[in-house]
Amino acid sequence: MLGAIIIADCIDEAEGTNHSAEPAGQVLWACVDVLGQSVIARVADQLRRESCDAVFVARPDMRKQHGANDAWNGASAHAAELKQEGFETVLIVRCGAYAEVNSAEMLAFHRERGAGLTRSVRSGEPLDWWMIDSSLLLEDQPIQAALRGQEEASYPASGYVNRMESAYDLRRLVLDSFSSRCGLRPHATELRPGIWISEGAHIARSARIVAPSFIGRDVLVSDECLITRGSNVEHDCRIDFGTAVEDSSILPNTYIGIGLDVSHSIVHGSNLLNLRHNVTLQITDPVVMRQHSGRAGDRSWSDIGRQEFAMSSAE
Amino acid sequence: MLTSGPVVVMQVPEILNVKEVESFMQELGPLLESNRPRIVLDCSQVRLMESAGVEMLLRCLEEVLKRDGDLKLAALSPEAEVILELMRVARVFETFQTCEDAVRSFNAIPADAVPQNTPWYANVFNELGVVKQAS
Repeated sequence: MLGAIIIADCIDEAEGTNHSAEPAGQVLWACVDVLGQSVIARVADQLRRESCDAVFVARPDMRKQHGANDAWNGASAHAAELKQEGFETVLIVRCGAYAEVNSAEMLAFHRERGAGLTRSVRSGEPLDWWMIDSSLLLEDQPIQAALRGQEEASYPASGYVNRMESAYDLRRLVLDSFSSRCGLRPHATELRPGIWISEGAHIARSARIVAPSFIGRDVLVSDECLITRGSNVEHDCRIDFGTAVEDSSILPNTYIGIGLDVSHSIVHGSNLLNLRHNVTLQITDPVVMRQHSGRAGDRSWSDIGRQEFAMSSAE
Repeated sequence: MLTSGPVVVMQVPEILNVKEVESFMQELGPLLESNRPRIVLDCSQVRLMESAGVEMLLRCLEEVLKRDGDLKLAALSPEAEVILELMRVARVFETFQTCEDAVRSFNAIPADAVPQNTPWYANVFNELGVVKQAS
């Protein structure tokens, strides 16, 4: 039996480094909705469909000072649970990256090699996908120690990989999905070629949606708007009259004001990250941009992904 | 002969919100009322520009144009560029990489003010005209 643990983390506990050097480097991009579903949720769904008999997701608790460590502590607890329930092999995925790894093939490779620990690699670079025999997971030992302490076999993965280390990676993932360079499909109905619209979205008659574009669940696109050039507008957003969104990602629960030109950017609430100029701005004028859901307070970049993750993990 | 004053370069404050706009306009206001005002706004220090700041820039441009002057933006910080593009006013202003370029642009001589040399073919036509008359 194969059990899986997905660890939502941007800090590579196994290596001890934070990959991203950006101001928004602490964002858990894997927890952010991309085309209707977060990377973590997609990986969990994929593992459930493939070969895994149980899938756990370990998340950080950012209410605590060192909450990021809780993801790994949680993973250790889940690993002990899986071992107790008789799972012979445990797949550990640090998400992190979006990687299209065939877990069934990796399991077969792992069993064939008999190495005890197998790590996936892509083009010589290690991925954070490990397969470990549960006999190597000791009760009083954190999971990171088990992953570092063994000699590992390298499983050569051939699928698509996006390391999701920065905002640029998020945009690249969106564009790669639109152009079918990866297996990630928008979580919506393709109403016209290249235009995906989710349930509950309302698009005004005079608004223009140009392919490829994605409109999320319960989004409102007002009159004379333009959504174009690989833009994705995630769930519960409001794009007000006459605004153009070009080559941009509008993350969930964002209001974009009247007559604006959002291009080459990622927007969440009142936070705007312009990828062309590599600038992060906090828009203080709520008429221009703001959080839409009505939740108290505005969130910083470091909250992105964590709150969404808390919502999605409750499902 | 039309006269105009010197080109004035002013530093835009780091934060351009409602409060800063008020105090900045106290300095800039008198310049806008001069004859043919020529103003360069150095935006290199701008870190935050609210909609009040954008409105101020547009109002100033409107005022100087009414008086046959001009207002140009120089050394835009990345933050200022992003805001102006976001609000769709980036193309309304003439922008320059440096203040020196912006100042120099005010003194550039317009093309129609330079006397043009007689084109090379003008004499050919003239000669043809003489030949025709002779024949």
